[in-house]
This record gives sequence, structure tokens and C-alpha cells, in this order.
Amino acid sequence: MTPANIGIVFDDVSRFYGEVLGINHVNLTIPPGVTSLVGPNGSGKTTLMNLMTGLIQPTRGSVRVLGIPAGRPEEIFRRVGYCTQFDAFPKGMTGYEFLYGFLLVHGWARADAERGAVAALERVSLTETAHRKVAGYSKGMRQRIKLAQAMAHNPEVLILDEPLNGLDPMARAETIALFEQWGAEGRYVIVSSHILHEVDRISDQVILLSHGYVVAEGEISGVRSEVKDQPMQVLVRCPKPGLLASRLFQQDHVVEASIQEDGRSVMIRTLDADSLYLLLNRVVVEDGIELDGVSPADADVNSVYQYLIRPQGGAV
Amino acid sequence: MAVYKKTYTRYDGALTDPRFRFLVLTRYSFEELRRRRFLSLVTLASSIWPLGCALFIYLHHNLSALKLIDIDPSKLLAIDATFFLTYLGFQSMWAFFLAAFAGPGLVSPDLTNNALPLYLARPFSRAEYVMGRLSVLLILLSGVTWVPGLMLFLLQSYLSPGWGWDNLRIAGGLLLGSLIWILLLSLLALALSAWVKWKPVAGALMFGVFFVAGAFSAAINEILRTKWGHLLNISHLMGVVWLSLFEEPLKRGNGAAFFRVARGAEIPVWCCWVALLAVCGICLYMLARRIRGFEVVRG
Repeated sequence: MTPANIGIVFDDVSRFYGEVLGINHVNLTIPPGVTSLVGPNGSGKTTLMNLMTGLIQPTRGSVRVLGIPAGRPEEIFRRVGYCTQFDAFPKGMTGYEFLYGFLLVHGWARADAERGAVAALERVSLTETAHRKVAGYSKGMRQRIKLAQAMAHNPEVLILDEPLNGLDPMARAETIALFEQWGAEGRYVIVSSHILHEVDRISDQVILLSHGYVVAEGEISGVRSEVKDQPMQVLVRCPKPGLLASRLFQQDHVVEASIQEDGRSVMIRTLDADSLYLLLNRVVVEDGIELDGVSPADADVNSVYQYLIRPQGGAV
Repeated sequence: MAVYKKTYTRYDGALTDPRFRFLVLTRYSFEELRRRRFLSLVTLASSIWPLGCALFIYLHHNLSALKLIDIDPSKLLAIDATFFLTYLGFQSMWAFFLAAFAGPGLVSPDLTNNALPLYLARPFSRAEYVMGRLSVLLILLSGVTWVPGLMLFLLQSYLSPGWGWDNLRIAGGLLLGSLIWILLLSLLALALSAWVKWKPVAGALMFGVFFVAGAFSAAINEILRTKWGHLLNISHLMGVVWLSLFEEPLKRGNGAAFFRVARGAEIPVWCCWVALLAVCGICLYMLARRIRGFEVVRG
């Protein structure tokens, strides 16, 4: 596979719906693993997904998925599985028929389609209800059968629009485990979700969208460190939080140091995280303050979302 | 970036012929239609006229049977272009009813359930989706128009050696005339199904397009003292095209049952062709506007 055939590449892509902006000037390269699209309603997440699948064409620019222009359904949909956010089901089908029929549309032979449908049902734990009508499924079951149809043909790229919506905590945990597994297998798993703490847990990287523009992209810690105008929050656990706080206040880059209610940790807000970490080393050596743990407190999707998108009026 | 181990394998089994993949949709649609009892009844009823015609052709050639039921063979209707045109007229009305009942349920449920992205997020194009749905109507309507029509033609040719060769034009007219009509009906039914999500309304609109437009065209002709109003009357357009296809001086009346063209009211055949093609074009445009893998939400 040549480098040109790796990844999902957006090259200066814009998409307008008449006068309404979908996305504008998007340049992206999405690597394998789990990538989350995060942004408020109307930020362009679904447009981005529809462009990746070739269901809509860009007004300007080009999209390539694994080197294939995203306008060739015969080639692209052999390698892409799409789970839309809508409850989209043809009328009157059972779960099994639903998967089997769509594998036939893929061009699979009947015997292979039967095996593929059964395997996909097993993977989403719907074997027992396979022969019940989809219309009678619960919300969680419908979500899972949608995921099954997206992965039944074993695609390299899985594009999942709001796949966690409507799932109970147990089903959500199972689904997230499935995403992690797919990501670990080397697939491209692109997930849009509003459930930020769970997105944070599974994502190798995030793409933050707002009003049709990509606000930030990359590994979440990298994105956080680029947000210079918001002091970084670091939680330090130590037995002498008062002493540590007084030592830290001597530094210009430390904006705030507050002792937590448990009396064994300090929340520090700093404009220069690297200097803070060096300072903590010095504190340990020179002042003999023991540190039990140091961890960034706002290098997560939720915080990055708050810093980058909230000021623009976005609400998840 | 993380290091991933590619542990999955893509499907490498045999694929079916992409040219016929749209038939998966057709097959599923027929399964669904089969469950609708009323439609089965209409389909069954539509076979009565061809069976009657077959019996008539048989009697026409069976003098002993005619003698038995005391009918003078010379008083029987001739089996000619008029006979087949009348057959086509009746069966085309059945085809119309079938299209009006079966057509609206083909696309609208997919639109109502947002199921189109499911089909189009496959190696499957919009054209194939339309073909899959259209084939349902084309096959269904063929079964009540040209298929039994040609069987009647063959029966007559068999019972009257040499007749078939001398009247090949009738077979051509029957086939082409039926195909134009069922294509028009199918496209119209699908287009209405794609635009009107409520099935009964879509079915009613089918009737509206034919009968209301027919009445409207008659009103235009009356008020403006012209015959060009017929351009809005699809059954009139069809009747004129059929007359040209059968191309024989018709002895009884001027055209087929419900598609009769009043003498002197004929408009040029090429105008009728253009008008029918325009209707098909409009239907295709309507389908292209609605059969999409996404829904545009305008702010």
C-alpha cells in the first residue's frame, strides 16, 4: 500500500447546501484508529461523514478514502461501512433479513451472505432476536443492528454517526469495546458523538468542528497544549499541599493554585506546563516535598471542547 | 501515532454480476407485494379479459363448437388490429390500476424511514435503486399487457397458418405500445411515490394525473376551440401513438377502449411522442431530486 492509499484525505473541501454552509475549507488526513468528530449540532459532522462516503459531493475540493475518490460507490463501499444517525430501516424486515439482504446488495453470494449476516449478529449480541422484526426492536437493539449492517461486510473504514445515542450504559460499554477492538485491528473508525467523556476514552484522535470549520485536530493532549490562551490545569497529589502551593505562587506562570477538599492535592492552573513540570522536579529535590501523583486535569475532549467551541456558542 | 496490527481480512469471496444486482430489490419488493391480498385480486381480475380473448380466438377457429352454440361464424368479430387494439386498451386500464395500487408503496416507505442512505451506502447507485424498484412495476405490468397479448397473437397465428406473418405489425404494435405505456405508468408511479410519502394520496394522485388532466384538457379544447389541449391528456396521447403503431384502417371506432381518439381530434403523432417523452423526463427529474443518500436540512 503506497502512502497515497493510506488515510482519509480532505483537500480544501467545502460543501454548501444552496446558501447554507455545510463545511468550509477543510483540510484533513485521518489516520487508522478511532477518530472522533466532536462539535455542536449543525457544526458539519454529518456533512463530513456524508462526504467521506460519497453520498454527497463536495462543492469544492476533493475527498479520497484509502486513495479512492469518494464518488465511486462500487469501489468505495466495498471498503467503507456507514452507520447513519437516523433509525433507517426498510419496512417489515427481521434483523437477519436486514443484514442478509444488504449483503446481497453488496454482491455477496447467498451462502456467504448467510454466514456474514450470522457473524455480524453474533458480534453485536443479537443472535437471539435475529428473526424478530426490526420494527419491534428496542432503541438499543436498533442501534446495534445498524452497527451490524455497517460492519457485516468487514470494511476497513467504519463511519459511525452518533452510534452511542439511545444506548443504555451496559450496551454503551459493549459498543465502545467494539470500537476499541476495531481500532486495534487497524481499521479506520470514525465516530461522531455528543458523549464527550466516552469519546475521550476511546479516541486516538479528535476532530473538533464548529460552524462548518475544523477548529482543531489531532491527539487530544496535543490539541490541548495548543490552546495557549487557556491556562493548563494540573492536579498534583502530595502530603503537604499548603507548602507546595506557597512554593508555586512564586512563579509568574502559575495563575492559580488551590488546595482541594481532600487536603491532599493541589489544582494548579499554569500558562506554561513545561516550566511547571521542571519546577515540580526542583521542588522534590530542593524542598523535599514528596509528590504522590501529577496528572493533567483538562487534557480531555470535554475541556478542549469547552475552551474552543463553547465561547462560540456551541452546546453539546 | 499508535502502531496497529492489521488483523482483519476483507471479503474475498465471489461477487454476483453487478449488472443484475438491482434485482435483489426487485425480489424483496415482490415478496412484499405478494402479501397484499387486494393487489393479488386485481392481478387475478386482470387475467379475465385475456382468457376471454383466448376463448374467442379458439371459437373463431372451431366451427363445430360455434355450430354447437348456434352462432353464425360470419357474424363474429374479426381477429384483426382492432381486436388487439381493444385488448390493449382494456389491459392497459388494468395495468393502470395495478400501478396505482402497487407503485406508491415502492419508494415512499424508504423515504419515510430514512432508509435510502442504507441502500446508497453500498456498491449500489441511485440509478440501480430506481431500476430495482422500476423493474417491479415493469414486470408486474408486463404480465397483464404485452405478455398475454403476444400469447394471444401466437394462438391466433397457430390456429390460422400464415396469419401471423401477414400481421407482424400487430405484434410489434402490441409490444411497443405496451412497453411505452407501462414505462410511463411505472415512472409516474415511482415519481409520485418519491414525492408523496402517504401511499393513499400518491395512489389518488395517479388517478388525478390521468382523469383530472383529461377533464382539464377537454375544458381547454372547448373554451379555446382547439385540439391542442389533448397534449395534457395522457390517454389521448397514448391512443394516438397506438393508432400509428398498429397502422391499419380501423373498422370499428377509432382506437382502443379507454384510449379512443375522436375522429378529427387527432394531433400529430410526433407531438404525442414528444409529450410522452416529456412526461417521462419530468418523472425522471422528480426521482433524481428525491432519490438521494442524504436529506438536505435547510436552516
